[in-house]
Amino acid sequence: MMMKSMLGVIDATTYKDDLEELIAHRSLAGLPIAGRYRLIDFVLSNMVNSGIGSVAIFPKYQYRSLMDHLGSGKNWDLDRKRDGLFFFPASITDGTSEGIGSFNQFAANIDYFLRSKQEYALVANCYTVFNMDFSPVLERHLQSGCDITEIRSGGESLEIYLVKKSLLVDLIQTRDITGYTCMKDIKLDIHHNYKICDYEYTGYAEKIDSISTYFRVSNEILKMSIWSQLFLKDRPIFTKVKDEPPTHYTTTSEVKNSMIANGSVIEGKVENSIIARAVKIGKGSTIKNCIIMQKCTIGDNCELDSVILDKDVIVENGTKMNGNLNSPFVVRKGTVQGALMNS
Amino acid sequence: MGKKRCVAMLLAGGKGSRLYSLTKSLAKPAIPFGGKYRIIDFTLSNCANSGIETVGVLTQYQPLVLNSYIGIGSAWDLDRVNGGVTVLPPYSESSEVKWYTGTASAIYQNINYLSQYDPEYVLILSGDHIYKMNYESMLEYHIDKKADASISVIEVPWDEASRFGIMNTNKNMDIVEFEEKPKNPKNNLASMGIYIFKWKVLKKLLEEDNLNKNSSHDFGKDIIPLLIEQNKKVVAYPFEGYWKDVGTVQSLWEANMDLLDEKSELNISDYDWRIYTVNPNQPPQYISEEATVKESMINEGCIISGNIEKSIVFQGVNVGNGTVIRNSVIMPDAEIGENVYIEKAIVPSNIHIPDGMVIKPNNKTDEVVLVTEEMVNELIS
Repeated sequence: MMMKSMLGVIDATTYKDDLEELIAHRSLAGLPIAGRYRLIDFVLSNMVNSGIGSVAIFPKYQYRSLMDHLGSGKNWDLDRKRDGLFFFPASITDGTSEGIGSFNQFAANIDYFLRSKQEYALVANCYTVFNMDFSPVLERHLQSGCDITEIRSGGESLEIYLVKKSLLVDLIQTRDITGYTCMKDIKLDIHHNYKICDYEYTGYAEKIDSISTYFRVSNEILKMSIWSQLFLKDRPIFTKVKDEPPTHYTTTSEVKNSMIANGSVIEGKVENSIIARAVKIGKGSTIKNCIIMQKCTIGDNCELDSVILDKDVIVENGTKMNGNLNSPFVVRKGTVQGALMNS
Repeated sequence: MGKKRCVAMLLAGGKGSRLYSLTKSLAKPAIPFGGKYRIIDFTLSNCANSGIETVGVLTQYQPLVLNSYIGIGSAWDLDRVNGGVTVLPPYSESSEVKWYTGTASAIYQNINYLSQYDPEYVLILSGDHIYKMNYESMLEYHIDKKADASISVIEVPWDEASRFGIMNTNKNMDIVEFEEKPKNPKNNLASMGIYIFKWKVLKKLLEEDNLNKNSSHDFGKDIIPLLIEQNKKVVAYPFEGYWKDVGTVQSLWEANMDLLDEKSELNISDYDWRIYTVNPNQPPQYISEEATVKESMINEGCIISGNIEKSIVFQGVNVGNGTVIRNSVIMPDAEIGENVYIEKAIVPSNIHIPDGMVIKPNNKTDEVVLVTEEMVNELIS
């Protein structure tokens, strides 16, 4: 029952310029990854799998697709009579905040913190790919008597903080006096008066903050050693389920080292790639080192290497597109790519 | 309860004894089908897609998996404030437990369920067929024809007609005679086990039939003949399209293989007629460097390192290096080792096939192999 006493707080306000081509239409939290997930699925599922029953999400930019994705929280078992999933969009008058856990936005919804019975709060970012159990963090936090525990990975902050809820409420309410705008500010202030402890997480954890990390992490997920750290039978990553039929392979399909989601029809060659739901790949086409998002249609005899296709892209027959492993070629959502355009 | 125009009653209590070990601990409608679904998904999705929002599901044989699978019906969007899905198991009444002794007795014992919706029409369905059908169109036909009962029929090849319940019709599609498995069929319209009745008419018939000690309380054998005998208007509703009774190992295998046939009429990728199912939350399938996959359907959560050809692979299946799977159906969470050879087989859920095992049909009979734990143990020793 101990975990019942932790609130989950997900800061979904983050915007990263280096991801602009992929997040112009959506919040970073809603960025599709690993074929059928969105970034927020990892931290949200981790919270649920760690026994957290009340999660508040604070989005800011372009959150239509994020809201559509989360719905009532049912897919994460968070459509509850008591607690469950809460969605607190920022008001437009709020200024931008760079740090994790924007106190301004929390302040506008302070009732959530005051009404909740949980004693502790886990304040997390929305863009880390990991499968982590938070219960040992709370245990350590309680033993160490720290005011704030910061989760770190590979010597860097993961921008996830565990804090007593009463202290969090204090920090929110005194933000104008202290000048702290978010959790990060406290650690940055060398004169702070809090006991801040580190919790080093040793499993796989990567923050997606640029196209190149997005591309690199996607490639890493294809390695069984990483895949098996992220997708665990007893700690599944939940996502919005769709009623797509299984993926159909035809006589001409050749697939190697790839992850493929449901509803796709593969007639061509796919190598080292991640194919999302309901993608069509035509005959004679070769897809190499690519990330193809939902509902893209790739015609016949196309050649794509190191390309990211955002959702709903149509690639006409005979189109050739190339990026390279360090800088993939990104195609924006809903566009049509013709054979002549890139010749 | 609010009044409903049409309530569906889905008969899902069948044992399916010709599916042998597959139905040992599972009702036939709950058998996995098509890489992702269970057989009953087709009928429940048809209901949802036809706008039938009130469905009573009659369970009896091995109902544990089926009951928990159906739950409150949310997978099919049938969790409704008024109506929705209700699982109706047999129940005991004062001194005795009343098992469902026949399809008609199952409906008779749930007259109270139906009465609370006071429907004009009742749609009787069975949970063990693979097909897509708009029941709303059938209901319109039934109303147009001013029928007391409508029976959905499908044309079967003449040489197979003697295996089915055959409806003999006149030129207006009125049914004048019903023959169960006739030796010399006069017609090739087979009953699909889908009926629409005026509820008032059906209720009266069920009450009469219940008092008849000689009745087997079956729709085909007792209720339909009784309707014809009483000169009620019984019409045939001709259905065109894919329809398959998956009551045997052979037909279950065939229906799965039909999904791989590009010419098949059964399209499960139709956005306008989704086949809904309880979606397992699994990561995308992983096809390794060593794998080859041709003419197959593979579901999420699989890790494939072997060679898959013309096969259906359900969620959570692992296939090891060097393994060849051909013309087979691999059910959920099966573990297939390395260098295994499987041909023309149905491999049940959760089974472990050890490295190097060969499973293929007997050369003489070429019958589909239904793999069992016992078979695997025998092959090991």
